Amino acid sequence: MRNHRTIAYLYTLPWVITFGLFWTFPLIYSFLMGFTNSRLLAKEFSWIGWANYSALLQDSAFLSALKNTFVFALGTIPVTTVLALLLALLVNREFKGRGLFRSGFFVPSITSLVVVALIFANLYSRGGYVAMIGQMLGFETPQNGFLYDSGTALYSIMAMDVWMSVGYYMLIFLAGLKAIPDELYEAAEINGASPTRQFFSITLPLLKPVALFILVVNSIKSFQVFVEIFVMTKGKFDTMTSVYFIYEKGLTTQFEFGYASAAAYILFVIIGIFSLAQFLLFRQRKDYSW
Amino acid sequence: MVKRVTPGVQLARYAVLCLVLGTMLFPFGWMVRVSLMEPGSLSEIGLFSGSFTLANFTELFQQTNMGRYFLNSILVGVAVTLGNLLFCFMVAYTLARYQTLPNKFLFFTVIVILMIPAHITIIPLYLLAVKAKMYDSYWALILPWLVNPIGIFLVKQYIESIPQSMEEAARIDGAGELRILFGVVMPLCKPALAVLAIQVFFTNWNSFLFPYILTQSESVRTLPVGLAMFQGHQAIDWQHLMAGSTVAVLPVLILFVFLQRRIVSGITAGAIKQ
Repeated sequence: MRNHRTIAYLYTLPWVITFGLFWTFPLIYSFLMGFTNSRLLAKEFSWIGWANYSALLQDSAFLSALKNTFVFALGTIPVTTVLALLLALLVNREFKGRGLFRSGFFVPSITSLVVVALIFANLYSRGGYVAMIGQMLGFETPQNGFLYDSGTALYSIMAMDVWMSVGYYMLIFLAGLKAIPDELYEAAEINGASPTRQFFSITLPLLKPVALFILVVNSIKSFQVFVEIFVMTKGKFDTMTSVYFIYEKGLTTQFEFGYASAAAYILFVIIGIFSLAQFLLFRQRKDYSW
Repeated sequence: MVKRVTPGVQLARYAVLCLVLGTMLFPFGWMVRVSLMEPGSLSEIGLFSGSFTLANFTELFQQTNMGRYFLNSILVGVAVTLGNLLFCFMVAYTLARYQTLPNKFLFFTVIVILMIPAHITIIPLYLLAVKAKMYDSYWALILPWLVNPIGIFLVKQYIESIPQSMEEAARIDGAGELRILFGVVMPLCKPALAVLAIQVFFTNWNSFLFPYILTQSESVRTLPVGLAMFQGHQAIDWQHLMAGSTVAVLPVLILFVFLQRRIVSGITAGAIKQ
């Protein structure tokens, strides 16, 4: 019996190696690097304590990247979550063509983000489709296209993000809806509860764990926006986000590894706090019920 | 529970759903439409009117490295998928069947890594790749991604739901451990492994950030990286850009049509178990 247990330990080697080499090492390495002035062409580097961190907190580019990241998260997450729930409720019950709608809504989220960003860059461009529709409806559209205007660029990218991810969260809500036992609704019906009442007293409270999952996943994702920015604006027109800032500082022109690592850790801590806060918040709510 | 819905409500629901469906699918239709337009004719906007040509596609493959990007994407995708099938399964088997203290700790590391945002590794991974002489090679695109925490989590969960009796019977019959692992348990895990394979391949096919920062030569670029690089080029117009996008999306769409159920169950399995 001992024997096959020993062999089984060997099976875990791929994870032990990956965990050590590609996760633990980078995590520690970039943490330490955040306290140095390491950069690509300088042969030597020295420990500079918290200097990177204090410089970051005064770096207006970093602060505006953080601001944009928060705008992105706070702007997209509520919209995506509510729309996803509405769509899930619309396609939850059996009806003709349900499968078609479900898959159709979901298609954008399995597409490459680079491709989606390219398509929308075209749609948002000067004289592009969105501008055309906007003009037809009598709106004033930005002269050089939506992505070349500080007033609209970030919001346009956010709208694309909602379009892309809503189907994915709809599927997760659907799975959550399926897990609610039918008996609950039957009992409610017998007791004369209206459909609205049923929704607020049964559906919503029981979807809480799923909603928490969606909030956490979506905020972690929103704090890491990069590809859209890279493809569509390169951080110009007030669309710099935190991860794009890390990339630009660390891996372009100056290759300031130390500075960028410190920025990455600040973002890491913010994401951690957010996930924890959402988790605790929802835990507490259990006592009140919605 | 069957609710009776009045025709008016039914009609309104279909109207809303069709509107949403149109919004979801229109950008793809537009992508295909632009990819079929003749050069310089972008202003004559119309989904069904104007010129149609396949020249953009042939030019794209003849005059750029599109073909190479495509092959690279397939090569890296297949290698990473096979790696995950093998390694996630092996690790998950041990974690599911031998819940000893070291293994419990290992499972804890899986959960922790699952929650750590990948952006934190951008710079160290770049430096590691450079130092290890992996930078700008297939190794950099494959090695770090051969086993992933979500995969281990999914397969472990699945193995725990299969009874242990088959393995014990095989062991009593004198079958070797590898035989038990790959001949007895692996075939039983087919549904979970299929879901895993699809998930890994799709993620890899669409992945941009790490393939981009870990390579620089045309010869190892994957499709998303190649496409994103096209975009800055003056010489490449929307027609060709959209033709390239169509080439990148089509395999995913075709796979999706055939594998829909597995894709959906993979996504929801990961979410609901939390």
